[in-house]
Order: sequence, then C-alpha cells, then structure tokens
Amino acid sequence: MTSVIGSRVVREDAWGKVFGQAQYPADLNLPGQIYGVVLRSPHSHARILSMDVRKARELPGVAAVLTAADVPRNSHGVLYRDQPVLVAEHIRMVGDPLLAVGAESLELAREAAGLVEIEYEPLPALFDTEEAMRPGASPLHPEVHGLSNVFYHLPVVKGDLNKGWEIADVVVERDYSTQMVDHAFLQPEAVLAHVDARGNLVIQVSTQYPHYDRGEIAHALGIKVSRVQVKTLSIGGSFGGREDISLQLIAAMLAYKTLRPVKMENSREESFYSHCKRHPMSMHYKTGATRQGKLVALEARIVGDAGAYASWSPNILRKAAIHATGPYEIPHLRVDSYAVFTNNPWTGAMRGFGAAQPVLAYESQMDILAQELGLSPLEIRLRNIFRTGSVTATGQLLSGSVGLEECLQKVAPFLRQEEDKE
Amino acid sequence: MVELELTVNGKACMLKIEPGERLIDVLRQRLGLTGTKEGCGEGECGACTVIMDGRTINSCVVLAIQAHGRDITTIEGVGNRIRPHPVQRAFVEEGAVQCGYCTPGMVLAAKALLDKNPDPSPQEIGAAMSGNLCRCTGYDKILRAVQRAAREVTGT
Amino acid sequence: MKKRGTGLGCTWYGTGYGNGFPDVSSAFVEIHDDGTAAVLTGAVDVGQGSSTVFAQIAAEELGLRPEDILVCSGDTDVTPDSGTTAATRQTYNTGNAVLKAVRQAKLRLQEFGARKFSCPSPEGIELKDGMIGVRGDPSRSMPLSELAWEARLLHGERFISASSFTAQTTAVNLENGQGAPYWPYAFGCQAAEVEVDTDTGTVRVLKIAAAHDLGRAVNLTQVEGQIAGGVAQGVGYALLEEVELAEGRIKNPAFARYLIPTALDVPEIESMIVEEPEDTGPYGAKGLGEPAMLPTIAAIINAIDAAVGVRITSLPATPEKILAALAEKQRGGSGG
Repeated sequence: MTSVIGSRVVREDAWGKVFGQAQYPADLNLPGQIYGVVLRSPHSHARILSMDVRKARELPGVAAVLTAADVPRNSHGVLYRDQPVLVAEHIRMVGDPLLAVGAESLELAREAAGLVEIEYEPLPALFDTEEAMRPGASPLHPEVHGLSNVFYHLPVVKGDLNKGWEIADVVVERDYSTQMVDHAFLQPEAVLAHVDARGNLVIQVSTQYPHYDRGEIAHALGIKVSRVQVKTLSIGGSFGGREDISLQLIAAMLAYKTLRPVKMENSREESFYSHCKRHPMSMHYKTGATRQGKLVALEARIVGDAGAYASWSPNILRKAAIHATGPYEIPHLRVDSYAVFTNNPWTGAMRGFGAAQPVLAYESQMDILAQELGLSPLEIRLRNIFRTGSVTATGQLLSGSVGLEECLQKVAPFLRQEEDKE
Repeated sequence: MVELELTVNGKACMLKIEPGERLIDVLRQRLGLTGTKEGCGEGECGACTVIMDGRTINSCVVLAIQAHGRDITTIEGVGNRIRPHPVQRAFVEEGAVQCGYCTPGMVLAAKALLDKNPDPSPQEIGAAMSGNLCRCTGYDKILRAVQRAAREVTGT
Repeated sequence: MKKRGTGLGCTWYGTGYGNGFPDVSSAFVEIHDDGTAAVLTGAVDVGQGSSTVFAQIAAEELGLRPEDILVCSGDTDVTPDSGTTAATRQTYNTGNAVLKAVRQAKLRLQEFGARKFSCPSPEGIELKDGMIGVRGDPSRSMPLSELAWEARLLHGERFISASSFTAQTTAVNLENGQGAPYWPYAFGCQAAEVEVDTDTGTVRVLKIAAAHDLGRAVNLTQVEGQIAGGVAQGVGYALLEEVELAEGRIKNPAFARYLIPTALDVPEIESMIVEEPEDTGPYGAKGLGEPAMLPTIAAIINAIDAAVGVRITSLPATPEKILAALAEKQRGGSGG
C-alpha cells in the first residue's frame, strides 16, 4: 500500500453533497416547530427609551416575544462578554439585536416584530477611527473597556530605530488602507433548536466551534453545559464568520422559553447584519533600506476599526503587528497597532485574521523600494526573506520549516522581466 | 389558494398553494426536496438552480405558479449512489466539492449545459457556470469537473 | 489600451491561537471488531476537508484504507472539544491529537499482537494493508479484522484511546511585543499576471502561480482546493469587494451589490507545493487555509503597477481608483 498521506483521498461527504442529501440546518424541520425572527436596530447609536411589546404578544399565533428582560445573563463574546444577546438600553450599531419573536409562521413572526413600538433617543455616533481615538471622544463601552475607545494597543519594538534611519540609504513612506469586507459564505445562518426528551436543549447549527457555542448558550440561560447539545450539520463555508455566536443563541432561548422546536433562517440581508466583518485598517509605513537592498528600519502605525464590539479585535491587531514586517528580517523597528471602537458594524475573525491587511502595505513597500534601488522585485525579496535561523520582529527564532526561498524560486519563472514588457 | 400541477423529477404533482409562493418554497417545504438551496433570495447566487423544461432557472425568483404544467428537475432527480450522473461523478472525482452548498446548483447548471451542448469549449463552460457563485473552491476544480463530465458524456 | 504586467506577493502566517493561549485539541479513537476504526473530534469540517485529513492520518497509522475510518465531528454530546475551525489550526492541532490517540490504540493492538505472535516487543508488530503481524515475517500475521474480533470476544480486550495535543507558544510582552507568539509559521509566494484596460480601468487577472510551504501536504486535492479558493478570495479582496457604509448602515447587503468573484473572474491557477517539514506537525504538516489568500492581494496590486505604472494604496483597486491614478500620472503626479 502506498502512503495515504499526500494522496488524493476523496472527502467522505462529497457523494452526499452531489446528490443533494447533505443536510444544512435550514433543511431540518420538526413537528410543531415555530419560526423565530430577530428585530434589529436601525440606529447606529441610540438609547432605548421605551419598548412596548404588548400588541406583538397579543397577536394570535405568537408564541413568545423575548426582550433583554428575558435573558438571564445578557452577554456574549469570544474574548470579552461585551455584546448583549438582546439590547436592554444602549444600542451601539445598526443591526444590534433588540428582541426576538417566535410564532407559528415566519410571516406572523415578522408581522409581530413590526408591531413592537420602540422609542429611541439617537446619540452622537463615531464612524471614523481617528475621531474615535481622540481624547475626550465619548467611550462606547465604559463599563467593560474603560473610558477610551482604544481598547487595545501593542507596540513591537526591536533594535534602535534612530540607528536604522542613520544607516538607511533609501526611505519610503506611504499610507495604505483596506476596506471592510464580508465572508459571504454561500449558506446564510440557520438553526433548529429544541428541548428533547431528556429536557436538554439541542441546537443543530452550522458553526465553527460547537463547544464554544454550548458554553455561550449555557451562560446566557444560566444552565449547565451538560444540558446543552450543539450538533453541527454540514457547514456552507465560514471563513471566520461563524466564530462569534449568532442565531443559535436566540433560537436556544426561544426553545427554552416555549418548549417548542424553533427554526430560524437568515435572509442574505439579515446575514450581512448578523455576523462580523473584516477589519478595515489604515496603515502608515515608513521603511528604510541600504543601497545593497537590505531592509534596516521600519516604523509602522496600524489602526483597525473594531466597530461596535471587541470580538477578536485584540488578537487580530496583535497579529497585524506581529506580521507587519512581512516575511523579512528588519533589525530596527517600531510597530504600533491599535484596535478602536466605532459605531460601525463589528469586525472580527476572517481568513487571514489581521495578517491579511498588512500584506498590502509591506509588499507594496518592497516593490517601491526595489524600484528606487534599481533591483528586481524578486532580488530585493531574496536579500531579506526569512530563512531557517532568522529572527522575527518579536525576537522569535525561526528554528525550522521555513520554505520561503523555495516558494520564491518556484514562482520566479512566472514573473516577466522589465524588458519583455510590451 | 390555487391549484398547481407540475412534474417534478418525473413524478406528477398536484398541490394547493398560495398564489404568491415561490417555487423554491414549494420544492423545499411542500415537497421536502431540500437539496435545492437558498443563498441570496434574489437570483444572484444560483444555489437554488433547478431545471425547468430543459433550462436552468433560479427557483428563488420564480413563482411556483409559473411552473404550472412544466417539467422540473431538482438535484434529487439527477442520480444516486447506484447510478450517479457523469457530472456528479466528475465533481466527486475532481474534488470540486468543498462546503457543498453551491454543489446542487452547480451540478444542475452543468447538466443543463451538457444536455444541450455535450462538447462545450472552456469559454462556454465558464459562461454557463458563471451564474452560480461558489465561495470556497475558486471554481478551478468545478470547471475541470464539467470538462471531465463532458469527456465522459461524449466518450472522448 | 490593454496592458499586461506581472507582480509578486510574498507572505507569512503564524498558525494557531497563539500568544500562549492554551491551544488544545482532543480526539477519541475506537477500533471496531471488524478492524475498522472510529475517530471522534470536536473539530468541524467547514468545507476545507479536516474530516478527510483525520481519516487519512488514522488510516496511515493503522494500515487501513481511509474509507475504513469513520470520522465523527462537532457534536458536543459525543465528541471532545477540539477548539475552533479557524487559525489554520485543525490539520496541525487536531491532526496531532488524532495521531497521538491513534498511536495509543495502535500500541495496545501491537501489545496484543506481540503476545499472540510471540514477538518480544510491540515495536516488532506492524499494521499494514489491513494485516497485523510480525514485521518481516508474513507467516506470523493475520487480518486486523480477525484479531480485533478475537481480542474482544475471546479476551475482553478493547482498543480505545483518548488524547490531547497543545501547541506551544508564548505571550508577547505588552511593552515591546517581544515573544514567540505563534508556531508553526506557514509561508507562501504568488505571482500574478494582470491585464489593465487603461480606457476603462478594469483589471483582469489572467494567471496566478502560487507556491506554498505547508510543511507536508496530507491531501493533494484539498491543498489545491484551498489554494484556488484562497486565490479567488484574494481576487475579490483586491479588486471587487467592499461593504459600503453610510452612517454605520450597510448600503449593499445583497449579492447584487456586494460582488464576489464568479467563474469568469478567477484566473488560471498553477499551484505548487513546498514541503519543508515541521518537526512538531503530523507527518510534518503545518497548515494552508488562511495563507492561501494572502499573497494574491499583493501580487495583483504589484502587477497593476508593473502593467500601467500606478500604485494603488487603498483596496479594492476599483476601475475608478485606477482611472484616477492614471489621470494623476498623466498630469505628472506620482500616481496612486
């Protein structure tokens, strides 16, 4: 038998998927199920002055209307529990969940949600990170994150930056920015929750981390994790967008409250509002190199827009700082990375996790430097890349498994030289 | 309520439905054919693709009543473990299946193409598959799978 | 006019939770009476293929075919916690947990085999092609299916195991960022060839050549799938996608207005694999999921500059931005 490691084994669920048999949460139903919907905030920053749910509760066919008052422990979050399951008073972004309705049909649930009367006091909102960072800017999370919207800052410092600028023959300074993007997984969030014959909550869902979801559901409801089963079905892509808990928490509450199976399905528009986004980052880069093309100095400032909640932001901005040099040795550097609250949609995990945005900056700087020095893009990289034995910006020794030079050599033949440009 | 008569996967169906019901809801909810997926609800992603009288349609933007008297093929009508369709076998063997949510729609789009044009050019394949979005695979293996299925269908 | 250019992107990526946070995965293994096996982990397969990777690891160790391995994943009533499917960590982390658990069960099989075949040490027993027996002596071997059955029904022996694996990192110092925050690191380079239409500002990506150091490729098909999928997302990020906001409201929460790449937007992709083995990884494997999309971004932006001499510094590189930069360049500005 040849080794199965390195072979082309067919994934075990491929056949079920080509026949349309693979089950995603929206494909499941249980007898007697009700349909859940979430009413989300139209305001980016506001205080709820009053919420009248009587008409919604009285609508025939409505099984439950849940508000913040119905949530035993009204918070969730991957690092900090700073995100409400349902907002009690302080709305921090468009799309914040305000209440949940469970009814005999989806149409009825939507109709009931439309009958809720809410009085808002709009508050001044911050949409720009530089404004939000200013001393005196109104803090978005004074209770959990203190009196500044800058809730994470990591400096990475190595060598002596002054010396770096002294020995640099060429210095390139530019500003870069990246946009907010969505995971756009093909399968919108969906869930089926019910209380089973054991009296346990069973949540069938697409998630990246069922054990985390179980903990958040148990926490919010104030029950033991052994009373909650989170079972994943087929998952229609995730890319980081199924890290923070979503509909499954609300469906679990509705099922627990009504003892009815609860089905919830996001439309694409609802999906855009019910998971995080990729951090937009603004990046100021100043990079110095010697005439020989050796990188000697880097000063970078990276600011990430966290939106309204922390989610994974500290880890993401940390990762941005750690990866800010690119895969190159730079002896003298200072990188400052900040995570900042605004009233934009919250940002969190997405493929690349903070190491994606700086790529634009550090790889553009390399090409600009190459141009200034009269080197080819390939040559300047070969003179600086990590190899076994290199030390990173954080002082970490790369003791092995550094296959970068071989990667460069493999793609080099695909690069056109200046002279063959038409 | 209105009467709806249509053929689904070779079987005659008679149903009473609301006039405003979408075809996807009749297929998924009333007939239990959940292999047809909803991804966007506006005919942009192709996850809800079914074949109606030989042509692919987005069942999320077609009213069920528009299918009255028509012949519908869903993924459940395309092959099974004993007798997979060449497109299904090619998708599995090429590794064109990852998360799988776009797969039923992709298989149907490819089948509809090959039914009409068993020997399509790469450009024709690209054009025929461009109404179906995939977020995982980068389309590379999907396009290769359609070419492979075409070779099998034409025996080349 | 249409102009072509090539560009390079070169990136690195620290995998795992990192920063000293306990990055632990667990796995349960059971050998069935007929010599097949079950692997249970909390790791969910989101489409990338982790379940297939675990089946391959178990099959490799037990001398079975991957289809003889049942992988059960992501059910909190049944499977142990294996952390999140993120951070490019499942092949490395849960793969290691599976490998450790399978080796435990295998050692029990070898011990039983050593007694049965009068072999002085369990290390002398090999599992290969569905057989178990003394290494180098085919006359002293039998099908694993018979041995497993005999072990339970005649001797009450079971081959069941559980194990965990934790990746090793340290937290960075909050004053200066010094530390060993990730391990292992994956590396990758991509070259892009683009065609820029100087009249419309549109960019067509013609080709991406991608080389990735992932330690060891466990499943070649899935590796190519990750690279192609990453390239497509990189193309979207570099050229097409943007959540547009107005006062915190999303202006384009629909696929008609939030554009992701279609089959016509993706280039020809040539994927190349570099296997610089990682000592601590299962069979030397690191990971590939996230790294696959990173170099694409820079390769495209640098290729645009090579083609038409304008540097785009804000993503996405829309036709409007490219036309504006071209106009600026004509006026004698620096471009971008």
